Amino acid sequence: MAGDDAARPAPQQTETTDAPARTTGGTIAGLVVLVGLAALVRLLDQTLPAATEGTAIGGLVSVIEYPVYAIIVGLLGNLVLTRLGVRDQLSGAFRTEFLIKTGLVLLGASINLATIVSAAGPAIVQAVVLISIVFGFTWWLGGRLGLDDKLCAVLASAVSICGVSAAIAAAGAVQAKKEQLAYTASLVILFALPSIFLLPLIASGLGLEQAVAGAWIGGNIDTTAAVTAAGAIAGEQALQLAAIVKSTQNALLGVVAVALTAYFAIVVERREAAPARSWGRDLWVRFPKFVLGFLAASIIATVFLASGGSRGAISAVNDLRTLFLILAFVSIGLEFRLAPVREAGWRPVGVFAAATGVNLVVGLGLAALLFTGFQPAAQG
Amino acid sequence: MSDGTPLSAPTRRWALNEDWAATIVGLVLLALVLTGAIPGWLVP
Repeated sequence: MAGDDAARPAPQQTETTDAPARTTGGTIAGLVVLVGLAALVRLLDQTLPAATEGTAIGGLVSVIEYPVYAIIVGLLGNLVLTRLGVRDQLSGAFRTEFLIKTGLVLLGASINLATIVSAAGPAIVQAVVLISIVFGFTWWLGGRLGLDDKLCAVLASAVSICGVSAAIAAAGAVQAKKEQLAYTASLVILFALPSIFLLPLIASGLGLEQAVAGAWIGGNIDTTAAVTAAGAIAGEQALQLAAIVKSTQNALLGVVAVALTAYFAIVVERREAAPARSWGRDLWVRFPKFVLGFLAASIIATVFLASGGSRGAISAVNDLRTLFLILAFVSIGLEFRLAPVREAGWRPVGVFAAATGVNLVVGLGLAALLFTGFQPAAQG
Repeated sequence: MSDGTPLSAPTRRWALNEDWAATIVGLVLLALVLTGAIPGWLVP
């Protein structure tokens, strides 16, 4: 996520010159496809459980949450559009990052400000410890396997902070090559997709409390969109905690980007370091601004309800949030690309997989240590 | 995929705009719902 998140590398950084040009017409057509697929997801979510009740698959369907339908429908849409050769022309409409961040700002309205305040301390501790350990491990293992320093920096940032956004920020900071960013971005999505389904399942199997499950999901899955999808599957409280923990990690992206810029300038390339003033500006540039919107929404809704506002209005905001999240999850499926991962070779994939394993284990320990017994304040 | 051109930090402009756009759209939608300009029945 910045945040994450970003499920898409910044277009100007990864597009090839021979890719079909995006046009306004193509973007409008893409928007129609996206909204159509989102409507299909809504329809499946609302009708499939009743339609399959009492059948062999009825039990399974009744526990499937909307993010699962959305991602599967998005992936199938991706397959069809790719076969038709029109996906790249339509892709201007597949704005996963914008959609997920808008959804997260709206999610802020369902979280009591007291919850954010009381979760902030443990969330910061978890983020700092987890980022330090996972970043350090990835950097060390990448070095042992002979990966380029810049690729190590991009991979380590992606797996330890917030996926593609962190990869983009790190790639800019260390001046990595376009292809290094492209396959890191694809690796992030490749690992995030199964995590969306597996982490809630494992959390449920381990009998984790909602807050612990949310903190674990928020600290582990790399992209903000996938964190939100997994959190939504795990439950409302888990979603809230996952969003708070992920937002905290996202906010630390700027610190890591500035540190990487300084390290590569001073240690690797032996250039003169930038003045502290420009580092301060860089911190602000890298700061995920939607976190401010998320906080503002929580404050507005908390004050609104405390002053006698209707809970029905917050309910409508939650429906609107779900709408944006469905669009974002469909978009994740539509944007997925496997080709750059195939081009990367096994070593970056191995490093990323090992780092993900470390992230999972350390993250579970930290989440259990810091969030066991955590009780979110009720909104309203 | 590409020609190996190094990336530089200033190319993040769209991501920055997207961040602010999401914040503004989210807060405007919240305001519209809380003030009743978007009634609950209108949200699918």
